[in-house]
Amino acid sequence: MYEREISRTNPGCVVFLLDRSDSMKQQWGNSQETLAQGAARELNNILLELLFTSQGEPGKARHYFDVGVFGYGIRPMAGGEGVESAFGGRLAGHALVPLPELRDNPITVREVASPDAGAPPSRVPIWVEAAHGYKTPMCQAVAVAGAHVYQWAASHPDSFPPIIINITDGLVTDNGYEGANLDEWAQRLMNIQTSDGPSLLFNVFLSPTPMSNGVLFPNSDRGLPPPGPDLFRISSPLPPMMLSNAIGVGNYVEQGARGFAFNADSKMLARLLEVGTRVGVRD
Amino acid sequence: MHIQMVTFSEPKAGYEAKEWQDGACGGVISDPRGPVSRARFIVLDGASTAYDPVRWVDQLVTSFIPAPGAPVGPRLEPASMRAWFAQMQDRWAKAGPQSNDAIDEQMWRDVGSMATLLAFEIVGLDGPEPYWQGVALGDTVLFHVRDNRLVASFPPLGPDDFGTNPDGVRTRKDSLDMMVERLLVGGGVLADGDLIFAATDAMAHWLVRAILREEQKVWHTMAGLAHPDVFARFVTDQRKEIDAAKRLKNDDVTLMRLRITADQPSFLLACR
Repeated sequence: MYEREISRTNPGCVVFLLDRSDSMKQQWGNSQETLAQGAARELNNILLELLFTSQGEPGKARHYFDVGVFGYGIRPMAGGEGVESAFGGRLAGHALVPLPELRDNPITVREVASPDAGAPPSRVPIWVEAAHGYKTPMCQAVAVAGAHVYQWAASHPDSFPPIIINITDGLVTDNGYEGANLDEWAQRLMNIQTSDGPSLLFNVFLSPTPMSNGVLFPNSDRGLPPPGPDLFRISSPLPPMMLSNAIGVGNYVEQGARGFAFNADSKMLARLLEVGTRVGVRD
Repeated sequence: MHIQMVTFSEPKAGYEAKEWQDGACGGVISDPRGPVSRARFIVLDGASTAYDPVRWVDQLVTSFIPAPGAPVGPRLEPASMRAWFAQMQDRWAKAGPQSNDAIDEQMWRDVGSMATLLAFEIVGLDGPEPYWQGVALGDTVLFHVRDNRLVASFPPLGPDDFGTNPDGVRTRKDSLDMMVERLLVGGGVLADGDLIFAATDAMAHWLVRAILREEQKVWHTMAGLAHPDVFARFVTDQRKEIDAAKRLKNDDVTLMRLRITADQPSFLLACR
């Protein structure tokens, strides 16, 4: 299981679930950003990383992945509360997008100051904007994304299993959505599989006051306050190659570690996104 | 003595020949600074996840083995290689990314390009004791073979030494010190009938594992490869091997073969 390499013949699928509830307006630790802004920034970064990984020749991306980002909470496009694709611009409303299409259609390209002193500003493509409002319909998000993941897995039976990463700061507010609670929706999602194994569901719980009590890739929920145990329970164990990757980028990780971060700061979120989306593409 | 050189290559399965990201070149050089009778060779494996590895590999190859009349590339010792790495990085930085595209710019600056390196020379072909000397960064490997037995491999990698993050020649200037620190230097004495194979990682890894099982047969087969079509079939077959421990990884494949011989070849096979 989890040994299939990504190729254009057998592309992968990465789906992000992005909490856009009202509480995401809180400031993230000592940064100048809200949780919504920080999560959107890291999401745009990881989309860019996926494009780096998939760049065959300059100016082009290989179709190594289909990517989706589903926002839950406020729906900036449709209005009101619910779940919708968080892509904007020409990709608005698109559920799963092949990487070449993603590459060609950012909402905008922004200039940001370079971390290197004296260097010119970087031009950064943006695919997902920050948004916040309403409650936290996480079950509906898993259900909506799950329907797309199911269809994708059915049409890519020999690919690496879909990877779903849920970024949230709150408690689920729609337990019982269509008669099932979050555990049941998550289980349904993880029951979707390819010949290389079941789908992987990873979770990141953001804290507006992360300080030093963040936990990354734990192998037990011991000592975690709510909703830590609930999110730990619905987080998949890291496959061996992701365990190796996690160790390789300097994390302390034990056997049985799960794709889960609790009380995460932006660095932790970036780490989980990096480890959780790095799959062998050297085909 | 003479050198008979042939290089076989195949892109990843499902890819076009132009997507082959390795590089290989060799030939006799004329260098007033060095021994008269000298040939040099380079084999590189551009990293798939790097920015424009084809251009980086091409830059390194054409600098290391320049056109006739152009200055000869670096000497194969750390100080000269360091200067060459720095020169290559400067040239890359000056050229800039291929386009004004924001993603290209970011990748060019933040990721850069990278290629594993095996560069070597064969010296003293007119003398009593010809030898090879080389430098290496990463998992492109030279195999020195005599009578279907391995005399030496360089770098001396074992079956478990091939990973996904090898050393290599990088475009980022902050990598320069690390590249020189990790640069390996090696060499060996050659005899009539010896073979030298230089292989990028997929092929090298396959060879390292295969010779543990049936060494003589492996070198006999490699020595007998006589046509690109035969090599292509060999690669296809080995990629389909059911036993994962014996399978050739689906990666770009390059195999350079040099035969050291006291005689001129009795026949010449020209392939198109």
